[in-house]
Amino acid sequence: MRNLSDTVASRSPGRPRRGPLAGVRVADFCWMGVGSVATRLLADFGAEVIKIEDRVRIDTPRRLPIYKGEPARNFGEEAIDADPNRGGLFNNYCRNKLGVTINMRTPRGRDLAERLIAECSVVSENFAPGVMERWGLTYERLEQLSPGVIYARMSGYGHSGPHAEYRSYGPVVQAMSGLSYISGLPGREPSGWGLSYMDNQAAYYNSAALLLALFRRNLTGQGTEIDVSAIEAGVNLVGPVLLDVTVNGRSTHRPDYPTGNRLEWPNAAPHGVYPARGDDRWVAIAVFDDAQWSALVDALGRPEWARDTRFATQDSRFAHQDALDVHVAAWTRDRDRYAVMELLQQSGVPAGVVQNAEDLNERDPQVAHRGVFFELDHPVIGPAKFEGTPVQLSDTTADNWRSAPLLGEDNAYVFKQIVGFSDDEYGDLEAEGVI
Amino acid sequence: MTWAGGPDVGDGLVLAGVRVVELAGDPAGEMVGKLLAEMGADVVKVEPPEGSATRRIGPFAGYGVDGDHSLTFWYYNTNKRSAVVDYRTLDGQATLQGLLEDADVLITTLRPPELRALAIDFDELRAVSERLIVLSITPFGLDGPWADWLSSDLVGLALGSPLNSCGYDDHSIPPIRPGGDQGYQSAASFALIGLLLALVERQHTGRGQLVDVGMHDCLAVNAELANPYWFYPKVVVQRQTCRHAQPTPTQPAIFQCADGRWVYFVIFVAEQKAWRSLLEWIDSKGLAVDLTGEEYDDPAYRQAHFDHIQEIVEVFFMLQTADEAYHEGQARGLAIGPITSPDELLEDEHLAARDFFVAVEHDDVPPALYPGVPFRFSAHGVASLRRAPKLGEHTTEILDCIPLAAPAGSAASTGGGAR
Repeated sequence: MRNLSDTVASRSPGRPRRGPLAGVRVADFCWMGVGSVATRLLADFGAEVIKIEDRVRIDTPRRLPIYKGEPARNFGEEAIDADPNRGGLFNNYCRNKLGVTINMRTPRGRDLAERLIAECSVVSENFAPGVMERWGLTYERLEQLSPGVIYARMSGYGHSGPHAEYRSYGPVVQAMSGLSYISGLPGREPSGWGLSYMDNQAAYYNSAALLLALFRRNLTGQGTEIDVSAIEAGVNLVGPVLLDVTVNGRSTHRPDYPTGNRLEWPNAAPHGVYPARGDDRWVAIAVFDDAQWSALVDALGRPEWARDTRFATQDSRFAHQDALDVHVAAWTRDRDRYAVMELLQQSGVPAGVVQNAEDLNERDPQVAHRGVFFELDHPVIGPAKFEGTPVQLSDTTADNWRSAPLLGEDNAYVFKQIVGFSDDEYGDLEAEGVI
Repeated sequence: MTWAGGPDVGDGLVLAGVRVVELAGDPAGEMVGKLLAEMGADVVKVEPPEGSATRRIGPFAGYGVDGDHSLTFWYYNTNKRSAVVDYRTLDGQATLQGLLEDADVLITTLRPPELRALAIDFDELRAVSERLIVLSITPFGLDGPWADWLSSDLVGLALGSPLNSCGYDDHSIPPIRPGGDQGYQSAASFALIGLLLALVERQHTGRGQLVDVGMHDCLAVNAELANPYWFYPKVVVQRQTCRHAQPTPTQPAIFQCADGRWVYFVIFVAEQKAWRSLLEWIDSKGLAVDLTGEEYDDPAYRQAHFDHIQEIVEVFFMLQTADEAYHEGQARGLAIGPITSPDELLEDEHLAARDFFVAVEHDDVPPALYPGVPFRFSAHGVASLRRAPKLGEHTTEILDCIPLAAPAGSAASTGGGAR
């Protein structure tokens, strides 16, 4: 057994937080991905984020089978009766937060939540629309409980409109916002996304919305309700092709769209992902102008084929990418992916290995130099790595003080010290299954 | 001293009164400026005489090719003003200093080698005003062994690892870049967050700071499950067609419908409630075949016969349109969505009911729809969307109002603008 005493001592809640958001207390009803990542940002930079959980309906990232020291399972293959304190994804999403449990199905639980909200100046949630209303937790009620409150509501479709109650998660949002359609090779099914990109991006947009509301409230004292729709954030990320449709009337329903790894604009060529030595190893190369082209030709040792008149100008190279790609791939195919990248970068050609998580964590010198990942101990999981918030501020650092809370870990601190229950009253909450 | 011509501080917009100078030549920096401008900040885009590099990227409105008709530029530069200042000259740098004296934020996408070549030093710039926040967005950040390297959206997505999760089941096909400018967009999202943290910090301290955002850092944490799968069970996820990269292969999650469109739908065989909803739905069309058999109540049996279930579901979707499948599936509580094209987004009744797309006026093309502001605040106003500025459109009104740090008249040598 590991000696947990050091870990336990440093986990005590109530330590003063540091950072621009110190003093902001959040009643955080968020769960799953979008919400948890959005409020993690607040916790990283000093806010006291109190994550409110349900002992019966365990937060999904606690259950997803991403465990240390066990063979990998796909995330749909959950273990029955899994220990909710071992989930790696939950640890990643909920570091720096406090954790409490409230049984919102009971009147006393809902009363407890209201008393906690009265001690907070921000409330956040990403349930299906209607859940908070069923508990009576409308913006108007929250404003009574905590005047000036900021109420952040994060959902797939937003809180109005005919499909507000439709269900979504990352891949559905990506499908519904255009982001999957615009991704793939022409003439076949979309390749779309191999991740819930929109769980992350919608989370960042929600973090930004919360910071915008906090900035404004610091100036005026006025709170607000926030409605961020993940689909609308996703459409916002589709980019200039939208204007090709709306301004030029040029449809994206055509056999040459989307364009795979090639760009439609600007006329970059070669522009693609080329095979390297080894199994499923690839390197990306992107040449945008004559200077980069000559640098590439020099780096390749001025091969005869590069003098082909078809490759004489950027426009002509762009027009003859099929032929060009055959030559480039023939050169990369038997070379080490990192050697290709270093040679090309040193020659002034944009190039990058298609890195995976192992490469990032064990090999990438830039990520190591920048300190993107950091480590924290956890009483059940042990030491674990975390994805840092990748912004480096000269006078402000993230306050990474604790790994994710165990289920209900901070009940006593929050309900006694913050909400003000006596020891006896707290004992009743426990005995009656309110927490 | 205040800038003339900017938005009114009292207009109720969240960032009303915040003044931003944007020296950005890629979508990462321009997207941050766009979001700030749409939230009410006065964003002055400082451009060299030849214009921002994004003005030369198509598509072009009406298929012209001039810098005032780039739809890439239009998309990323709504609600900004443009001033031509050649910051590569000493005079231009003096003018820039003059602008910064009264600014809250400088956004720059100049890479370390470019900063050195221009002798731009962020500490010196910040000496102009204690309150100034400098937001630097670069491919790799301002320091480290790769800081001087070149990148692009594709190269960034490759090195940062999201690309490794995207592509097709067939691994003889390389990983495929997701569309749009998502490498730059990932940097933009974190840059916006970093900047807002600095603005809030300044409310407490009165001091600005340097915010250093590297696209590579941002992408390294933006592959969702890939890092946790490495942190914990030490496994590398494998890309699959239009669904999550996973440790081992899973069943396809997109289905083609009668109208040729695709829907995204995962058959969660392990979840009893979702399985029953799906089964009732298939059975209601008379297509359940043997799936209504008792043995299929057992998740383990379903898992063992997943291929058979998959075949039936493929036929089931092939016999209805994507929209029929979408609305009926959602009515049955299932998370399903059609793979929607940009053209189809414009017809979406839900987005329409929320007035999401906004018509933006232009000088020489009819009003055109743009995506609306992605943040909705009940208590704060919404900016009306304005078209991107023409090159140097606001040079005179902006430069007339700054105290020139340079010798009198020197701004005239910057050229290209209206002065």
